[in-house]
Amino acid sequence: MADYLSISDSERKEMLNFLGITDVDDLYADVPMALRRKKFALAEGKSQQEVYNAFKELAARNATYRSIFRGAGSYNHYIPSAVKSLASREEFLTAYTPYQPELSQGILQATFEFQTMMCNLTGMDVATASHYSGATAAAEACVMCAGAAKKVVTFANVNPDTLETVRTYLEARGIALEVLPALDGFAFLPDEGTGADAVYIESPNYYGILEDTETVIASAHAQGAKVIVGGNPLALALFKSPGELGADVAVGDAQPFGIPMSFGGPYLGYMAAKKEFMRKLPGRIVGETADAEGRRAFVLTLQTREQHIRREKATSNICSNQAHCALTAAVYLSLLGPEGLKETAIKCASNAHYLAAALAGVGAKLFYEREFFHEFVTITPYKASAIAAALEKKGILGGLPLDEHRILWCCTECVGKADMDEVVKTVEETL
Amino acid sequence: MKQYTNTHEWVELLEGKAYVGISAHAAEELGEVVYVDLPSVGAAVTAGEPCCELESVKAVAEVNSPASGIVDAVNEQLADSPEKAGEEGVWIFAIASPVLAEGLMSEAEYLASLE
Amino acid sequence: MKTVFEKSVKGRCGVMPAALDVERYDFDADRLRDGLVLPELSEPEVAAHYTALSKRTFGVDDGFYPLGSCTMKYNPKLNEEIAALPGFRDAHPLARADKMQGSLAVIDTLSAYLAGITGMDAVSLQPCAGAHGEFTAMLMVHAYHRSRGDEGRTKVLIPDSAHGTNPASAAMAGFEVVTLASAPDGSIDLADLRLKVGEDTAALMLTNPSTLGKFEKHVLEVADIVHEAGGLMYYDGANLNAVMGVVRPGDMGFDLVHLNLHKTFSAPHGGGGPGAGPVCCKAELAAFLPDPQVVRDKKGFRFGRSDWSVGRVSAFYGNFGVCLKALAYIVTLGGKGLRAAAETAVLNANYLREKISYFYPVGEGRCMHEFVLSMRKLRDETGVTALDVAKGLIDRGIHPPTMYFPLIVEDALMFEPTETASKETLDAAAAALKEIVDLAYTDPAALHSAPHNTPVGRPDEAGAARNPVVKG
Repeated sequence: MADYLSISDSERKEMLNFLGITDVDDLYADVPMALRRKKFALAEGKSQQEVYNAFKELAARNATYRSIFRGAGSYNHYIPSAVKSLASREEFLTAYTPYQPELSQGILQATFEFQTMMCNLTGMDVATASHYSGATAAAEACVMCAGAAKKVVTFANVNPDTLETVRTYLEARGIALEVLPALDGFAFLPDEGTGADAVYIESPNYYGILEDTETVIASAHAQGAKVIVGGNPLALALFKSPGELGADVAVGDAQPFGIPMSFGGPYLGYMAAKKEFMRKLPGRIVGETADAEGRRAFVLTLQTREQHIRREKATSNICSNQAHCALTAAVYLSLLGPEGLKETAIKCASNAHYLAAALAGVGAKLFYEREFFHEFVTITPYKASAIAAALEKKGILGGLPLDEHRILWCCTECVGKADMDEVVKTVEETL
Repeated sequence: MKQYTNTHEWVELLEGKAYVGISAHAAEELGEVVYVDLPSVGAAVTAGEPCCELESVKAVAEVNSPASGIVDAVNEQLADSPEKAGEEGVWIFAIASPVLAEGLMSEAEYLASLE
Repeated sequence: MKTVFEKSVKGRCGVMPAALDVERYDFDADRLRDGLVLPELSEPEVAAHYTALSKRTFGVDDGFYPLGSCTMKYNPKLNEEIAALPGFRDAHPLARADKMQGSLAVIDTLSAYLAGITGMDAVSLQPCAGAHGEFTAMLMVHAYHRSRGDEGRTKVLIPDSAHGTNPASAAMAGFEVVTLASAPDGSIDLADLRLKVGEDTAALMLTNPSTLGKFEKHVLEVADIVHEAGGLMYYDGANLNAVMGVVRPGDMGFDLVHLNLHKTFSAPHGGGGPGAGPVCCKAELAAFLPDPQVVRDKKGFRFGRSDWSVGRVSAFYGNFGVCLKALAYIVTLGGKGLRAAAETAVLNANYLREKISYFYPVGEGRCMHEFVLSMRKLRDETGVTALDVAKGLIDRGIHPPTMYFPLIVEDALMFEPTETASKETLDAAAAALKEIVDLAYTDPAALHSAPHNTPVGRPDEAGAARNPVVKG
């Protein structure tokens, strides 16, 4: 058994002696006797070697795939070795929240740089240090934007986990959520009568489709509603940013930026907004300042928004966030730079368009005739699960069956022509 | 002449308007003010109710209005120089046709209450 | 130090994706952006930048880290390697559950262990941090009362010594917060509780041991009072490290618990996250846990849903990778090891407290895993503040304790040495504190200007808040 303790038996005795007691039990004098447990019904500890082997065996009970064509909120991208190596440096990994700035300039500066990257990608003025996931970032943004009307509007084509999370957060605060249908997989906001404080739209949406965000923003603003734009941030390497299109807040999950799929978490929710929201944003923000000698220094700032100061009146209860994931994403983005990121996005999109055309060629037609980024939906009546199973047999994680007929596919830069041709062949055989 | 509340605001009537600020004691407790969330001109305020916030780096202080009425003016210089809100005699906002809260104290009574 | 943007040189690039082997797809030009600014650096430059930043960051392997209420224990390297096993790291959350039995077994096993440790019946690992767990539990409290047609329970009772997340979480879940006064020793003032509890009480949120490091002696009485009024008892697990294996929240009368896997169960803090904040509850509350839940049938593990669930609180299944590290820790230590960790944490805290007992301790008797000192007397006598003492510790290679918390103690410094600190470390910390106190009486200016041995001195925080510069 490993216990990670640094006190030897003789030191323990010495310390107890120093305290004038004979048994560590004496330190628990305030715990009522009736509550104290004689026995702790938990297995014996194990050696590190045994633990490692046990987990290796557990890990082996998960299937591993030769190629992955599933996204829907979790994306299989190549993670450069330098990302893993630099992010796993002990100082970054084990440090606490940087409440002591003199000892934390490294993590503070990295977070400041991450905020800058997210502002640049989204076209916004201010970004937070991170949120638990894209889903909670969207939820907190909706809460932030809700006002007198106590109503938020969204569309049926947003990520379902995000939609459920938004609903949970809004219901708790007594804010209504209206989900408008998305015909053809496309969001449409009526020109009047929405009666909402805010509109949440995703582009690319859950089906990978690029929305006409600009029109929705104009319509929402004409009705006095703020607009929160969600989506996969990799798409921001190519397309006009939410800020440029006039959105008030941008949210999403930056897991595609160097963070492993890891069965759904930890991921990296981000939130960026126009300047007017600076003092309303939930969660930590790092700012630049100087010390008494004029040296550049970074600190957690605008803290009066937060729970440790404002308690029940705080803009959010968030304390721990996903700081280490933000650091990882910053390393990833620094390594790829604008060109590397654009090329990655182009490769994902080119692969997806190749696969979509090839699948259509064998009878799995596009369900939505809309421009998409790197995810798309096919229709194959009553064949969705058969296709998934056939691919599974070949060690391929196929697209996500949405129902008996439709499959949501995703291509990243990790797949090549040969992988895609194999998928097409398998689908052809199944149909 | 200034009158004080037990929540450390002062109010002074000048030409029919009530000018409001915070006491030196409150300013010292709060520390350097870094942001003032001013009320909107035209907003109705109620005596004894919070209507504006002062922030330091690590604390937030609500300013309770010492009078009921309509906000007639706010001290615009606080937007750029919020630290001035804690300075002796600097007003934060003014109330038109004010109805003063009950139980206001004179300066001497207020200072005695701090003992 | 220059930012990564200031080091950028146009045209450099660290990593490019492999070349396309299908036709390049071109989007309509009117969709495209221009002017994306990100750093342009070679890989060696990126490596140098982040290595330099890491050297300006203080981790648990870099020195003593006695941050009260944060449980900065050693983060085992083994757990990191386990979380990086390809079978876990590359697992897609939407792969078929029958193909992901390893991951589901991790969720199920950890849930069972946490239920055992807390004396609860059901668990959700979905909440991503302690505060997220609190929020989830408050949603469950709301759903529970509503399911019984008990709509009038709108208030949550919270002691004034609680972490700020407690009132913030209760408010986010739609409750009104009622603050309970603490007795001077940090325990609940029972008279105040009796006055404020009633048929509008939804729950009481309690941290035990308290943020003053004292076990709530009257916890059973508190639970009786709240239960009699029809309210639920919620346990904030921030301080579980003192008592795991010794006493269980479930036996103390609590109905719901959240845990901090990044504190108590050794997952790293990551410079502020990710953590994990599982919620554990008694059987009668299980139906309200977030969706989805892992269930087991004769074919193995699968995901299930409950009609009564409060819904989702995040994407997928929460911070799975963090949960994995916590499970590795629990399996390594076992029951005895966990209890030994708690006991040693309490021993270390009492030892350090006794060593510096002349140094204005708060409260009488023994402490649990942490204790609070008040710098009020030192400030009155020398002008040296709790902040000055904290910064003086930095110059002596020690991360400061938690400052100015709990709010009910003037000029508080809160120490939590944890069980992984050695005796030499504790002795050295006591010596450093003594040196600082002596210095306060002879040369207070030296402490007002501390720290001196760091890349930067005290930053101008007021300036940062007044004129926020939040991007480069």
